Amino acid sequence: MIKFKGVNKWFGKLHVLRDINLHVTPGEVVVVCGPSGSGKSTLIRCINRLEKFQKGELFVDGTPLHDHSTNLTKLRAEIGFLFQQFHLYPHMTALQNVTLAPINVRKMKRSDAEELGREKLIRVGLADKADSYPTQLSGGQQQRVAIARGLAMAPKIMLFDEPTSALDPEMIGEVLDVMIKLASEGMTMCVVTHEMGFARQVAHRVIFMDEGSLVETGSPHDFFDNPQTDRAAQFISKILTH
Amino acid sequence: MLEGLNFRVLWEYMPFFMEGLRNTFLISIVSLFLALIVGIIACACRLSPWKLVRGLSIVYIESIRSTPLLVQIYFFYFGLPTLGLRVPELQTGIIALMLNSGAYIAEIVRAGITSVPNGQIEAGISSGLNYFQRMRFIILPQALGVTVPPLLGQAIVLVKDSALLSMISVMELTRCGQTLTSERFMPTEAFFTVAFFYLCIYFVLKSMADWSQKKLIFREAY
Repeated sequence: MIKFKGVNKWFGKLHVLRDINLHVTPGEVVVVCGPSGSGKSTLIRCINRLEKFQKGELFVDGTPLHDHSTNLTKLRAEIGFLFQQFHLYPHMTALQNVTLAPINVRKMKRSDAEELGREKLIRVGLADKADSYPTQLSGGQQQRVAIARGLAMAPKIMLFDEPTSALDPEMIGEVLDVMIKLASEGMTMCVVTHEMGFARQVAHRVIFMDEGSLVETGSPHDFFDNPQTDRAAQFISKILTH
Repeated sequence: MLEGLNFRVLWEYMPFFMEGLRNTFLISIVSLFLALIVGIIACACRLSPWKLVRGLSIVYIESIRSTPLLVQIYFFYFGLPTLGLRVPELQTGIIALMLNSGAYIAEIVRAGITSVPNGQIEAGISSGLNYFQRMRFIILPQALGVTVPPLLGQAIVLVKDSALLSMISVMELTRCGQTLTSERFMPTEAFFTVAFFYLCIYFVLKSMADWSQKKLIFREAY
């Protein structure tokens, strides 16, 4: 589904991704973790080409992203992306946020799109918030609207860039619940997160990054209980002691 | 103080002034409307990823902003016929005002556009919206809301700038004042009346702007 082959990226002189090789299979849930500045966000932002990379090959759903002639707009419609800061459109209601892309990218009829949108809002538990504006919603609710917005495009892959990091602790659960449900339904997911409980419960694989490299990859069980590298062991001991 | 003034002549000239008022109003509305279109297009070019398009719009915006409007009006008035385009004074004036205000509006709208957080644009990109759809549905509705107050300011400037069209003998308000002055030699009465009418237009525009502000700005939390 997603295949990195020797991907390298530089921000000016800073080498942010070093020789990334990674293969995500359909239906797989991959959690990416690592210290800040390690390149986790950059890695998943490459998957829908929000970031360019300079060297290597990346195939998403068979489409080559390193090829400049690739129709990125079409590919991006197949990939849902969730941001740390939600980035809902503040001048639109929750329902309008969800239906914007189906109407304009998928060319659905407004009535069909609204029906679809309501269905997705029900799925994230916000049936009653369809006509609310983002500023009237809590952080957790906004992030769930953002998930519904992603789902409305019936994506093949969902990418999550620290989806719960900007939330108050009591709201993290409601977002993770939706994500767990998605994972159990077989969605292919790449999740950058520090929620180790989530990683243990639903990830098929945990990837640990440091200084732009994939340092370690393994099942959550192996990774948390028996890390192979010192760097990963150090990281785990730091995040689990709190 | 006022006994020296002869307002009776003004009644005589009132139909004439009404004609001027109507012209000034029409010139302003038409120019403003066209300038908005020009401004939005110029601004979109200014923010375009293509260097050539961006370069052209920078040349346009900067050359307008660096030269006096009166010079631009003369430039079009004398320049267009040289190019073989015979355009009546009124239309020449509207073109000049449109291009002039368009450049300022481009910069006002650009400030509004850059005020939309980049993350929302990325959200639009990642849901597969193309450049024009992102502009149309995400950026412009918010940018226009933010830019209403400075656009109101620009509209008022434009109404007052339209007075310069009197220099190419467009029969607008200021030209009416000049005519009354030269026919009856009553500059004080003439320009007092002219100023009063500009004031009226100002209030009409201001109430329109208040109305549009209610319509355009997205609703914040209550």
